[in-house]
Amino acid sequence: MTGLSFALDYAWLVPLSTLVAFVIVGLAGNRLKRLEWGGWVAVAGAFVAMVVGLLVAAAEMMGPGTYTDQSFTWLSVPGSPGTFPNGVNLVMGVLVDPLSALMLIVVTVVGFLVMLYSIGYMHHDRGLPRYYAELSLFLTAMNGLVLSDNLLEFFLFWELVGVCSYFLIGFYYEKPSAASAAKEAFLVTRVGDVLFLLGIFLYFATFATSGPGAGWAASGFKFANGTQPFLAGISGGNSTTLTIAGLLMLAGAAGKSAQFPLHVWLPDAMEGPTTVSALIHAATMVAAGVYLLAVTSIFLGFTATDQLAIVAIGGFTCFFAATMAVVNTDIKRVIAYSTISQLGYMVLAVGAGVTMVGMYHLFTHAFFKALLFLAAGSVIHAVGTQDLRKMGGLWKKLPITGLAFLFGALSLSGFPFTSGFLSKDDILGSVLAATSAHPLYWPFFLLALLTVFLTAYYIFRAFFLAFGGPAPRDPALPEAHEGPWVMRLPLIVLSALALGAGWLAFYPPFASLLAGGGVPPSFSATDLALSAVSFGLVLGGIGLAYALFGNGRMVEVPAGSAADRVRSVLLNRYYFKAGYDWIGLRAVYGFSRAADFVERYVIDGTIRGIERAFARGSDQLRKVQTGIVSDYAAYVIGGLVGFLLLLLVVAPWIVAHLGGS
Amino acid sequence: MNLLDFLPELLLLAGALLVFLLDVLGVKRLEVFGGIAAAVTALGELVVIGDLGYAPLHALSTIPASAIDQPLGPTLYAFTSLGLVFQAIFLLTAFLVALASLSRPSHEPGAAVFFGLLLLATLGMLLVAVASDLIFLLLAIEVTSLSTYLLVAYPRKEPRPVEAAMKFFIIGALSTALSFFGASLLFGAYGGTSFYALGAATGYVGYPYLATVGYALLIAGLGFKVTAVPFHAWAVDVYDGAPDDVSAFLAGGSKKMGVFAFFLVFLGPLLLAERMPSALPSGFGPSLQITLGVLAVLTMTVGNLLALRQKEMKRMLAYSSISQAGYMLIGVAVGTGPAIAGATFQVFAHLFMKTGAFLVVGAAASIGVGPLIDDWRGLGNRRPSLGVPFALMLLSLAGIPLTVGFVSKFVLFSAAVQAQGYFVWLAVAGLLNSALSVFYYARVLKVMFLEPSPASAGVGATGSGRFGGIGAGRAGAILLATVAIVALGIYPGPVISGIQLAATHFLQIGA
Repeated sequence: MTGLSFALDYAWLVPLSTLVAFVIVGLAGNRLKRLEWGGWVAVAGAFVAMVVGLLVAAAEMMGPGTYTDQSFTWLSVPGSPGTFPNGVNLVMGVLVDPLSALMLIVVTVVGFLVMLYSIGYMHHDRGLPRYYAELSLFLTAMNGLVLSDNLLEFFLFWELVGVCSYFLIGFYYEKPSAASAAKEAFLVTRVGDVLFLLGIFLYFATFATSGPGAGWAASGFKFANGTQPFLAGISGGNSTTLTIAGLLMLAGAAGKSAQFPLHVWLPDAMEGPTTVSALIHAATMVAAGVYLLAVTSIFLGFTATDQLAIVAIGGFTCFFAATMAVVNTDIKRVIAYSTISQLGYMVLAVGAGVTMVGMYHLFTHAFFKALLFLAAGSVIHAVGTQDLRKMGGLWKKLPITGLAFLFGALSLSGFPFTSGFLSKDDILGSVLAATSAHPLYWPFFLLALLTVFLTAYYIFRAFFLAFGGPAPRDPALPEAHEGPWVMRLPLIVLSALALGAGWLAFYPPFASLLAGGGVPPSFSATDLALSAVSFGLVLGGIGLAYALFGNGRMVEVPAGSAADRVRSVLLNRYYFKAGYDWIGLRAVYGFSRAADFVERYVIDGTIRGIERAFARGSDQLRKVQTGIVSDYAAYVIGGLVGFLLLLLVVAPWIVAHLGGS
Repeated sequence: MNLLDFLPELLLLAGALLVFLLDVLGVKRLEVFGGIAAAVTALGELVVIGDLGYAPLHALSTIPASAIDQPLGPTLYAFTSLGLVFQAIFLLTAFLVALASLSRPSHEPGAAVFFGLLLLATLGMLLVAVASDLIFLLLAIEVTSLSTYLLVAYPRKEPRPVEAAMKFFIIGALSTALSFFGASLLFGAYGGTSFYALGAATGYVGYPYLATVGYALLIAGLGFKVTAVPFHAWAVDVYDGAPDDVSAFLAGGSKKMGVFAFFLVFLGPLLLAERMPSALPSGFGPSLQITLGVLAVLTMTVGNLLALRQKEMKRMLAYSSISQAGYMLIGVAVGTGPAIAGATFQVFAHLFMKTGAFLVVGAAASIGVGPLIDDWRGLGNRRPSLGVPFALMLLSLAGIPLTVGFVSKFVLFSAAVQAQGYFVWLAVAGLLNSALSVFYYARVLKVMFLEPSPASAGVGATGSGRFGGIGAGRAGAILLATVAIVALGIYPGPVISGIQLAATHFLQIGA
């Protein structure tokens, strides 16, 4: 250990510093003389969080595998014979281990950079104090989630990040589309949350009340520090309950991480400010689902059935989402689909049993995806539109943004020697290795491999459309210029991280974080041939994008400029999207209308009815309250007679006929 | 008997006598009387905490640890740690009220009467907490009752308080008569009135049904004190008609005394039913629990229903306090260690939420806010220093997490669930009632924060003088209550475990 280890005891400062910023901006934000000052308070809070977070992570790296848990009991139910033989403790605590240290780096660094960038990007918006307060609260909740030392606390913060996400997607609440997107995101993730909660109940009912895991509830559902997953160890790694609970965890993760079939909310969440998309819907909150799976697999345990389900969901989602990105013309939505797709890679890795490889990709992805979003935000800031078809020729006007987007795109597509290349090929290699033991993984591996091509194609299509060519296709666009330094600086820092963060894995202390989960990323195992194939796919994708969209070209279907085969593939993609929209419009919208009907008439009606009944009861009862003393005395005597009868006749009858308590 | 064992009681008595003496001698300053009352209650509080074994205050403790929680005998009084916890609650309530009342006009007539009676009423409550004999208990209750009747009427020139006091007195006298009648029947059955005699049937002479009638009479008589439905009707008129600070004291203090009296009186027959079933009608134990359960559910439900449509703030709080009494009675009906601890913690929480809420109402009245809930429109935005504490108190009453009200309900209801059987339904009833109560608490929040201030709100809206015209004492009392609500909501652990220990001992000494 080194002199840094003291930092491990101060991890609670990370959520606290942003919480302080939240309180200050939330209470006093509107009274400050200039609204931006609230922004600088929030930046300061995020900066302190980053410094402490990095110190904590560094301390964890210096003492590999350290498990530092500080907690206090919030509520405790003492044990007694009956339902809870050992009692139940609700614990709040802060846990620093390799997994949370890794996440801490991501959340605090991206959090600070996005907060700084916001100063420039959100400059023109009204409601700034609300924005900074909510973003600070989000960072508090997210860091709280990362540092949670038990399942219930995890769930508490999980809900809190969901609420913050709802507020921030709906930041422009005057816009109907933003308001409805916020609602959609909240409701869809809520489906996952409910299933997640059911999973917790199931763990509780099965493992916490009796048997060898009975002490778990008494210890507060802590993430145990052991050599093998706690519940899998108890159940011998295989039980129906454990499988079902694992599937419920997967459902929770699918909601948060926008995995099929709960992926629908994420593209619409782009209605929020681009900074929010970068922080919440790319780098941190959506990764919380993957983090949940990682935590479950390391501390609690999945069964083989769960793993196959996770692999299937992840593999399918990564391909499925990429196909949708191929045809979209909204720069933010292209990136949003790509986020879903990349999260699919991580889920795939966790499912295939190489949890830390998935976390490694989460780590690299956070930086290059935040970079892409912030670069897109810089473009939107400059030209005032998100429509790729109107853009063009921005390379000369926005050199820093263009270069940043290029770096992000290279890393996303997995171009050799970028971060994305290291982590994505690591996933592909490990899953390929896992197929020998689990042949059922094969189709999902192939889907993931094919996605490499699609990824390179769609992101470079977006790149060429926005930056290629001599001039914007829509002449009405305003003259573009780069944003202020607060926007440029995060782009530069994130560019460096997007290209280089993956190389940290070759720095032994950092690698120890990845090794902490038991399955370290294995670069030596990466098949060179596989890398060659994936590199070929990347080049193919970029080449195709250049052929169709390079140099200011824009292939519109059904334009005949490209080869027939490629065009038919594109067309098919359009059919796919049309079909997807049809499903969305008919089935989902029909379902929403049905749900709306139920909500409006059945649920609301019932609630109103109950309310009215209570109100009527209340009015009737109030007549009893006459204010006349002799009435009151009569109630006392009447009550006495009533309770005497109850005690003498009714209650003994109940006891005799229905049994005592 | 060591007289110093009764140091807190003696302090209160001396304080009350000093107040009356100074009044006769012509000292007419409210600050003097209030200062004395606040000082003796604060000192008494420290002594009791020391007696409870809190190490830093050990020097103040007067009761030897060996005298606490001894097995019950045929005595008049006995020190139990649970009783000391209740003493601490009573003294803290009196202290908060005295502190807040310091902010009233300096030359208010009747100030000496108010503070003197406040101390005497608290004295009676402290005696209740050490009673180990039914007659001693009832007499101690009378000390408090007589003081509180007068306390309600102390602004003699105003018709409303006097009317309220009359109602309070008449119903109170009736209840006292019922209680003593019940006690005499129990004496007839068991040949003694100490709880030892009632719990062990030492002098049993037959006639088990005599005891049944006696206990039914006591339910009615003591039900008056805890404002159990249907013995509650006086409470709303009295809380509403009484001066705000007196309402705070009644809701926060004298009702709690009734809860402890329920513990003392009704745990005995439960023990007896197990120990010597022949001394009671068959199935008496479960029957009594069912009866008390009905009392609890009736009380919480009717209280909530009545509160639902109230338009006046004080009446709403009064009804809400009836429903809270229903939650506390769950603990009596269940009767296990965790349940008693839960009810005690609920009592403790209620001290801050309800006493605090009445103190805020008093503060609002002092800056010209009217009695209707509608008069509070926009107060949260106009005066956040009142609105935010009041909001926290209401959220706590509704049982929202991170407030002490959530913790107390959690502990109480989980104890009922743990006890299984019928008791699970008590927890269900409690949960449903909590949901119902959110309606009327949320309505006040909406009025305070989402609706614009009325046009007439200019008067005193910004407040004048220090502490916005509320006064230092009252501001301090409100702050104390608010901090306690949040602090105990976040970190209740030590207090809960202390109370749980006390409750466990309490059950053991009867056995």
